[in-house]
Amino acid sequence: MMNSKNRDSDGAEFVPNAVTSSKSMTLSCLSHLKCSGCGKEYSYQELHTFCPLCQSPLLSIYDLKSAQQHVDRDEISRRPKGMWRWSELLPVLDVKNQVSLGEGDTPLLPLPRLKKGLGLSNLYVKDESANPTGSFKARGLAAAVSKAKELGVEKVIIPTAGNAGGAMAAYAARAGLRAHIFMPKDTPFANIEESRMAGAEVVLVDGLISDAAGMAGEKARAEGWFDVSTFKEPYRMEGKKVMGYELAEAFDWQLPDVIIYPTGGGTGLVGMWKAFAELEELGWLENSKRPRMVSVQADGCAPVVKAFQAKASFCDFWTNAHTIASGLRVPKSFADHLILQDIYESEGTAIAVSDKSILESQKQLAIMEGIFAAPEGAATLAALKGLLQQGWVHPEERIVLFNTGSGLKYLNYTN
Amino acid sequence: MTHNILYIEDNPDNMMLVQRALEARGYHLLKAMKGMDGVATAENEQVDLILLDINLPDIDGYEVARRLRASNKRELNSIPIIAITANALKGDAEKALEAGCDVYMSKPINIRELWARVEAFVPMP
Repeated sequence: MMNSKNRDSDGAEFVPNAVTSSKSMTLSCLSHLKCSGCGKEYSYQELHTFCPLCQSPLLSIYDLKSAQQHVDRDEISRRPKGMWRWSELLPVLDVKNQVSLGEGDTPLLPLPRLKKGLGLSNLYVKDESANPTGSFKARGLAAAVSKAKELGVEKVIIPTAGNAGGAMAAYAARAGLRAHIFMPKDTPFANIEESRMAGAEVVLVDGLISDAAGMAGEKARAEGWFDVSTFKEPYRMEGKKVMGYELAEAFDWQLPDVIIYPTGGGTGLVGMWKAFAELEELGWLENSKRPRMVSVQADGCAPVVKAFQAKASFCDFWTNAHTIASGLRVPKSFADHLILQDIYESEGTAIAVSDKSILESQKQLAIMEGIFAAPEGAATLAALKGLLQQGWVHPEERIVLFNTGSGLKYLNYTN
Repeated sequence: MTHNILYIEDNPDNMMLVQRALEARGYHLLKAMKGMDGVATAENEQVDLILLDINLPDIDGYEVARRLRASNKRELNSIPIIAITANALKGDAEKALEAGCDVYMSKPINIRELWARVEAFVPMP
């Protein structure tokens, strides 16, 4: 029976996608898209960017009752490793359109020496550098490029601080799509080269990612490129949310107490919070306890921290943004209100760290645990130290740091 | 009491979006499609807040902000100005604030944020 709520932007009814059988090519239980601002619903069968009415990001909504009937958490755990084993809860309808380079199921590594040194009982890092193209961006771009391909897109464009460009170039190449990338001219060299190597047209911008976003947006409008900027299309978040599913599974379907996450655009933080809500609605969690979400930024670009301290709903545009952690050099996220909302809801916090403490923590992670983290990932360890000093985290809590990428991409900084 | 908000913007789509959003909250929108027209409207009408695009067909938004701040109409020296722009040049936010704008917002304009920013200066009628 058709759900009366499923109406597209013109008011016409549309049929939510349904699981047909385990042998079917269609597994996704995607039902519709919903505006995070005004609640307006849109069909997933059309190409959408963000809500044209209130210009807020669109969220993918699934028929979780249907998913519950067709799959359970144990079946998903038995499937071959990778992001797409969660297909019922991802937006790509036809498995033939799943563009994969082996993303997802990154290791959750215990940090025994660091844990001991910091006086903690349970400290882990989710090491996203194990993804294709060496960063967590692979997850979001795998989902976005796959869905774009499914909806007939032939050319994709992105503004990037670095890793998202490399990931988009790789997945676009894999999908046979044209790729155009705008990145700040001081983006790590590895990101520029990997993008060009994968055949993308790369434009280096004398400015920040916000400047690159403006140029990408103009080109997209003028020439019909599909803009896969953070939160300006609905599906990158869906790839990123799988980090939340994987954490739940790794902790035997009980969530950790604290997640410390570096925040530029914030897709991962918002995505994981969405994942936890979906898992709870599916009845797959052992209890309803959610983690406290910690947003980590650099003190040279900390719009979320400033807004959090002011208890604001939106961020002010951060002027003169600067930090060695290029992924954190985002003066204002398009989804700032979602990031802040999720931090508040989780009873979490936001903390800024210095570039000096990032570099010290990067070295510490490498020397003590053998993990050569990206500066953004190292920032989470620097933040943890600050939170311990504040007494905000307790020694016995289960704490997860996120290393979002490989330090190998940033050799020009670490040298 | 209705508050008058002046929006200086040459893009009719943005103008319509903002008009719909602000009128839904009970504000009255005054419109100017060029920088010079915007300055004239601000000087001749009772205005409570100004929304200012930067890329305008005659003088740019920075110059508009500077002229408003230097205006002989004293209210304009301190009237709240929110810069709203999709500019793609380095340091636009810094330049907007230096020119006298109070807040910088980038396009696309999130309507909920616009409401919050406007209400912070001019309470909803």
